[in-house]
Amino acid sequence: MDDIVVVEELHFAYPPLMSGEEPVPVLKGINLRVRRGECLAIMGPTGAGKTTLCLALNGIVPHLTGGTFEGSVTVAGMNTRNHGPGEMSRIVGIVFQNPESQLFNMTVEDEVAFGPEGLGLPRNELRERVDWALRAVGIEHLRRRSPLQLSGGQKQRVALASILAIRPQVLVLDEPTAELDPLGRDEFFAALRELRAEAETTVIMVEQDGERVAEFADRVVVLVDGKVKLEGTPKELFSQVELVQEMGLDIPQVSELAHKLNQQWGTNFTFLTEEEALCKLSQLLEG
Amino acid sequence: MKAAIEFRKVWYWYEDSIPALRDVNFAVEEGDWVAIVGQNGSGKTTLAKHCNGLLKPKRGRVLIYGEDTNERRVEELARTVGYVFQNPDHQIFCPTTLEEVSFGLRNLGFSREEIEGRAWEALRAFGLEGYASKPPAILGYGLRRKVAVAAVYAMRPRIMILDEPDLGLDWGATKRLLENLNRLHEEGHTIVLITHNMKIAAGFSQKVLVLHDGEVLTYGPTRGVFKEIELLEEAALSPPQITRLSRRMIPCGMRGDSLTVEEFCEEYSRLVVRAKRASSLPR
Amino acid sequence: MIRTMDLSFDLYLERRSWLHSLDPRVKLLFVALSLSTLLLFNSLPVMACFLLAFHLILLSARIPWSRIGWIWSKMWPLTLLIFFLWPLFYPQGERVLLEFWRIRVTSAGLIQGLAMALRVNALAFAFFVLLLSTDQAKLVRGLVKLGLPFEWGLTLAIALRYLPLLYGAYTAVSEAQRARGWMVAKGSLYVRLKSYVPVLVALIITALRMMDNLSMALAARGFQPGAKRTYFRELKLGNADKVCLFALIVLFSALLTARFRCSFGA
Repeated sequence: MDDIVVVEELHFAYPPLMSGEEPVPVLKGINLRVRRGECLAIMGPTGAGKTTLCLALNGIVPHLTGGTFEGSVTVAGMNTRNHGPGEMSRIVGIVFQNPESQLFNMTVEDEVAFGPEGLGLPRNELRERVDWALRAVGIEHLRRRSPLQLSGGQKQRVALASILAIRPQVLVLDEPTAELDPLGRDEFFAALRELRAEAETTVIMVEQDGERVAEFADRVVVLVDGKVKLEGTPKELFSQVELVQEMGLDIPQVSELAHKLNQQWGTNFTFLTEEEALCKLSQLLEG
Repeated sequence: MKAAIEFRKVWYWYEDSIPALRDVNFAVEEGDWVAIVGQNGSGKTTLAKHCNGLLKPKRGRVLIYGEDTNERRVEELARTVGYVFQNPDHQIFCPTTLEEVSFGLRNLGFSREEIEGRAWEALRAFGLEGYASKPPAILGYGLRRKVAVAAVYAMRPRIMILDEPDLGLDWGATKRLLENLNRLHEEGHTIVLITHNMKIAAGFSQKVLVLHDGEVLTYGPTRGVFKEIELLEEAALSPPQITRLSRRMIPCGMRGDSLTVEEFCEEYSRLVVRAKRASSLPR
Repeated sequence: MIRTMDLSFDLYLERRSWLHSLDPRVKLLFVALSLSTLLLFNSLPVMACFLLAFHLILLSARIPWSRIGWIWSKMWPLTLLIFFLWPLFYPQGERVLLEFWRIRVTSAGLIQGLAMALRVNALAFAFFVLLLSTDQAKLVRGLVKLGLPFEWGLTLAIALRYLPLLYGAYTAVSEAQRARGWMVAKGSLYVRLKSYVPVLVALIITALRMMDNLSMALAARGFQPGAKRTYFRELKLGNADKVCLFALIVLFSALLTARFRCSFGA
């Protein structure tokens, strides 16, 4: 199992908004490695630098944003210092948070085809990729529709499909469901679940929802104020309830419950999912 | 005692003539904290916009403290009903945070001293004093949201409506915001919160109104509403994890209506003691 | 979630017709030729014929009368204006109908006025033939195929795509500010414009954020200006297109010959 993403001593500050001001550092020494096929969750309070880190993975930081960049980011052997977003996007795809401003074509088909078109692929391969991506995400029936008329959940799935069509090796999801309603969220994660079952794409997801992290992530990294404060499996992380809550993170309610019960009874429960909690707790009562 | 907000047989449709609100009837008493939950497209925002006159019902009436909204302009109702929109960037435009928070007060015609006093009070209430002279537009998202809420709070409306205030905020910031709102609530303000975050609805509101397809499926005290599982499913919602867990443990003797982790823990512990199973707990 | 109204400024009416399936390049040529030809002719019968022809084209493309009526409803103020004003500046001709002060209205003038009014309508209808039967994506694709640089086509397509979003943002911002007690001030134009500042500034900031997000989205899709692209939507000239092209060239050459050799319709 090799590391497909290697981030070493990454320091970054955006250029100051008004001349004469000091640049404000956003990333203050990030070291991160992601294994091929892994699903890594990035959690952290608003403003911790999660989005900036995502943008650093495909070269938007620093090529498009400017700013002071130190350290290195390498994905599948390509160093972002030497390759701009145009090239990096072929191996790192990002799905952003806002459904409206990442779709800009007239129909869903055109949207999904846009990425592969830029790769100069022959026409029959374009068609194949578009068909595959639409199927993978479950929106084939929306092919001819205008993205403007779709629901939030559908829009984000279109965004996902448009990135998948490029067939990146690493998929980065920057809080893709933050602005969706529960139904939209379920639809998106159902599509993601299917994808994970099918292909071994490496997924890096920035996610606030503790329950989703518990379900999907192999490993979690907690970013606070530009630094990695905590790392571990979801189980390891969510058992340190007080520490994690202090950082302002959302943990699954069952993990919180385990902690409270432990405090009261001196037990050593750790619950990650509803099922786990149900099993253990009902067992106890029934004896 | 007149109800703070009253909807009587309200119907509303947009130009495409599919009704967005169908025969909506309910009342919010002064001092209540009501959560309005429902999927996108269920009519939550449409309903909320009727509360401050941005939309006038096509049929039926909306009364704010007994006054029909049809007879009032939005700008007048702003004195009584504060509305915090979903996207803080739709409101922020001033060169400093202090000015931003004072904007509403200036519109309502308060005196210079009053404006300063209330603006600073609002900044303090949300921990924004340090940003008073900074341009709000360049602050981070969480801060911008706080500025937007503070700006409406400064106008001290008796009723505050917040449209998904937790959107894009981390849980820590959301809790802090809700605690601020709690303080307001304790001071007697009426709070109407639109959300589809069931944890917030369960943990903070006294009453919940469930909207689906423009219709009010149910409206009542939180605990009762969260028990009506089929109804929630119809509205494509599901109660928070802890409530779901407690429901699944009804066969074990739980009541099945825990709204928070604390409640569940208490109830469960009592059951353990009663069943004399304390000794068999894994240490 | 902002309720997105479908204000896509898209006149396109989806139908299955010969006109709709024509290659957009053929239709663009049609517009270009119509424009230049209409400007060269002056006589009333010619204008009327063009206008009639365009109507027939639209009807054969299954565009309903209601839509045609809608176009006329937008055009009639301008039409009437030209019809009334033109004779006032065209005093030639023998039969004088009206004379007062310095103004002479002749029957020739009236006829010319009508011709000019109809010309404007014919020009508009030529464009509508294109816009009603071609969706925006195909239109932009046609322009690019004709030589417009892809980046320009993309800019045009994105602009068309974002207009309704910007309008939606404008509505949302106005509502948000009104909810804070903001009103448009009464008074002089300057005072009224100045009172729009809260809405305009918030709107501009929102638009800038949208554009920022968009540029990142383009980068994330691997867009590189100038790079070699292939196209998902292919435009090939089919038989119907070739026939129409031929017909167009023949027809307009004939018209031009008639105009300049025989002074027809001057």
